[in-house]
Amino acid sequence: MKENVLEMRNVTKRFPGVTALKDVCIDLRKGEILGICGENGAGKSTLMKVLSGSYTAKEYEGEILIDDKPVSFTNVYDAQKCGIEMVYQELNMVLDLSVAENLFVGNLPLRNGVVNYKQLYSDAEKLLERIGFDVNPRTIVRLLNSGQMQMLSIMRACAKNPKILIMDEPTSALTDQEVETLMKLLNELRDSGVSVIYISHKMQEIYRICDRITVIRDGQTISTNDIDKVQEQTLIEEMVGRKVENMYPKENHATKEEVLRVEHLSVPHPNIHGKYIVEDIGFTLHKGEILGIGGLVGAGRSESLAAIFGQYVKGVKKEVWVGGKKVKITKPLDAIRHGIGFITEERKLTGYIGVLSIRENMSIASLKKLSGLILMKRRKEREETDKQFRQLRVKAPSSETKLFQLSGGNQQKVILGKWLINEPEILFIDEPTKGIDVGTKADFYQIMNELTSRGVSIVMVSSDMPELIAMSDRCIVISEGRITAELEGEEITETNVMRAAIQGKK
Amino acid sequence: MKAQEAKSPLLAKSIVSRIFSIREMGTIIPLIILYIVIAFVNPNFFAPANLIDVVRATSYTFILAAPLTCLMLTGNRDLSVGATTALGGVACAWGLTSLHWGIIPSILLGLFAGLVVGLIKCFIVLNLKLPPFIITLGLQYIINGFVLVTTLGNPITGFPKAFTNLGQGRVFGVFYTIIFALVLGIAIHLMLRYTRLGREIYATGGNKETARLAGINTTKVLMIVHVAASVFAALVGILYASRFNAAQSNAGAGTEMTIMAAIIIGGTSFAGGSGTVIGSLFGCLLLASINNGLVLMHVSSYWQNLVFGAILVISLLLDKIRTDKSGGGL
Repeated sequence: MKENVLEMRNVTKRFPGVTALKDVCIDLRKGEILGICGENGAGKSTLMKVLSGSYTAKEYEGEILIDDKPVSFTNVYDAQKCGIEMVYQELNMVLDLSVAENLFVGNLPLRNGVVNYKQLYSDAEKLLERIGFDVNPRTIVRLLNSGQMQMLSIMRACAKNPKILIMDEPTSALTDQEVETLMKLLNELRDSGVSVIYISHKMQEIYRICDRITVIRDGQTISTNDIDKVQEQTLIEEMVGRKVENMYPKENHATKEEVLRVEHLSVPHPNIHGKYIVEDIGFTLHKGEILGIGGLVGAGRSESLAAIFGQYVKGVKKEVWVGGKKVKITKPLDAIRHGIGFITEERKLTGYIGVLSIRENMSIASLKKLSGLILMKRRKEREETDKQFRQLRVKAPSSETKLFQLSGGNQQKVILGKWLINEPEILFIDEPTKGIDVGTKADFYQIMNELTSRGVSIVMVSSDMPELIAMSDRCIVISEGRITAELEGEEITETNVMRAAIQGKK
Repeated sequence: MKAQEAKSPLLAKSIVSRIFSIREMGTIIPLIILYIVIAFVNPNFFAPANLIDVVRATSYTFILAAPLTCLMLTGNRDLSVGATTALGGVACAWGLTSLHWGIIPSILLGLFAGLVVGLIKCFIVLNLKLPPFIITLGLQYIINGFVLVTTLGNPITGFPKAFTNLGQGRVFGVFYTIIFALVLGIAIHLMLRYTRLGREIYATGGNKETARLAGINTTKVLMIVHVAASVFAALVGILYASRFNAAQSNAGAGTEMTIMAAIIIGGTSFAGGSGTVIGSLFGCLLLASINNGLVLMHVSSYWQNLVFGAILVISLLLDKIRTDKSGGGL
């Protein structure tokens, strides 16, 4: 058995009100690739932040040993000094410097105190060539696509000769060809004795590259196995095996009447030019139904809703039928006119207006209904918004309270109220209860039931597995740009959803 | 929870904090202090003739500040309005003197020049999506240069009496411009408060993408406020030409910054989404009072900028204290 380069013992990390990690134990051997997998929010990212020094030693409990010696980090540089390099999901490049400068930023070759560019470019060229990554080291980074930038940030970490390299979903922005290059690079790193922690949802990649795999669920390590001794099915069950508390008062109001049909929906990838994040998908929605859309974060679920609603237009291909009639939606107003409302995931950015009052926020989607030719109908506005204010049980001193003063749950209720004044037939809800306290969550589910009982149909994107399972009448799962499962009734289980969500390209 | 705190009724608050919570206080307090100081040093400030002068100066800036407030409420800036003022005056004067047009066609020509500037600005900022701050700065230089090239820097004079009467005439002792500014101010105030367009302006400024997703045509809203700012800037230039019986190539030069400062002192948020025209009116009044009052107090005019700048900084501080107290900012 190979020696351990890293050991994390009983690491516990608490946030106010939540324990994100609980007695997590991980060991990493020299020259191996250890896969770490788990659901959205299982605690993988928190664990890596502990390891890479983003949280100081005082902020968590437990021990980290490197080469059997205990270490404690106060910042990221301490961790780097111990040979730990992290490749982040978000890109952090100096956009207006060249590829070579970015690769060696922090340790540029010097001659007499000035940068030796000749050596810099030849070093960079050698490095790039060795990996087989085809870019000119003199290119300005801004001109690269995000896949190339991702590769570059991986290589930059490698250029520092780390002992331990951490990668968090490295392939999410890469094209197939770049994934191949990355796999080659990883093999090479392993052979030269570097240990890699590889966080990924993609089972195919994990089985291809990892030596061992650790499963994390609800902030705890569930199992660690050699990859050739464990079945994919077992891993999936370990990832999702959790008891669902019954806070979901789901009522069934679904009918068979079609209210919305989407076909041939293709949405361009937000980061990769020329690639689609979802390609040629379609679904139908029935009256009174809640259609859940499952999948991993970044699978393109939010983008799909935004594209149907007309928020994103550029490069989108779609065919949409509302109530059996084919419609053209080229801007949000078109969607609203066809009776669609859209509660986005990012409340602050695209949901509410902080400086305006509850009344003003609730009326902005129905200004046409609440105004004459020029003037606002003040009394009607007040009646309509007060009605929503009461029915949705918004907790605020009055409907004149500004939105930035409300809690997340109440803001979400105001956003819902904004659409309800329009009496929509279809509601798109992206992550309905993200960042909302438990009490308001239950309120929100009750409201969704009331809506479907009145014949409103809902498309719900959710990364909260229990919520998705409990509230959906039907559920589709998106993975790698296509629909990998359509589940109904009893078939909607965590295992089925998870299996479809991590299904790679076949 | 902030919402819970705010639940305690307004009655519980002390009178002081209630006064401070009024949005326009950032300008009313300095105004009162300024008047008290002036009253001690030189009470002549309050002579009716002088007060009319102050109000008259206010009316010109306010005719520009009122539509500019709408623009700033959408979270935008326009650095080209000062130059557009000169352009409007010169275009109108050109119609009157060189083309020998009538008064109304000449005024329309001046306004048309403003309209053209506004549309060009809209095209660049809204269609080509270039940053408004830089673009309007560029436009400022272009328009300024254009006016200088066409006039060679000379004032255009020799207007018919009926035209100069616009800026110089009075009814019951009150200048027409003051009445016009008042009517305009009330109209824009009512527009912002009671019309659909007003609501769309606040929504667009508060959060453009949220407004767009709610079906508001934010491009149309931005176009209206941009064009209005340019047209009213040209109108102010026409009124200046009338008042001084001369269209100057440097009329309004540099005023955009002071007027925007006056609007901010009046409580309009730099980020957009909150503010009132009434606040801007007080801001303009403060600006005119400083200029006039300092002269009467025999303070060198060099001090005007210093005082005005200090008030700008202090009013933003007051604004910050106010928003912090009300439990959150932007």
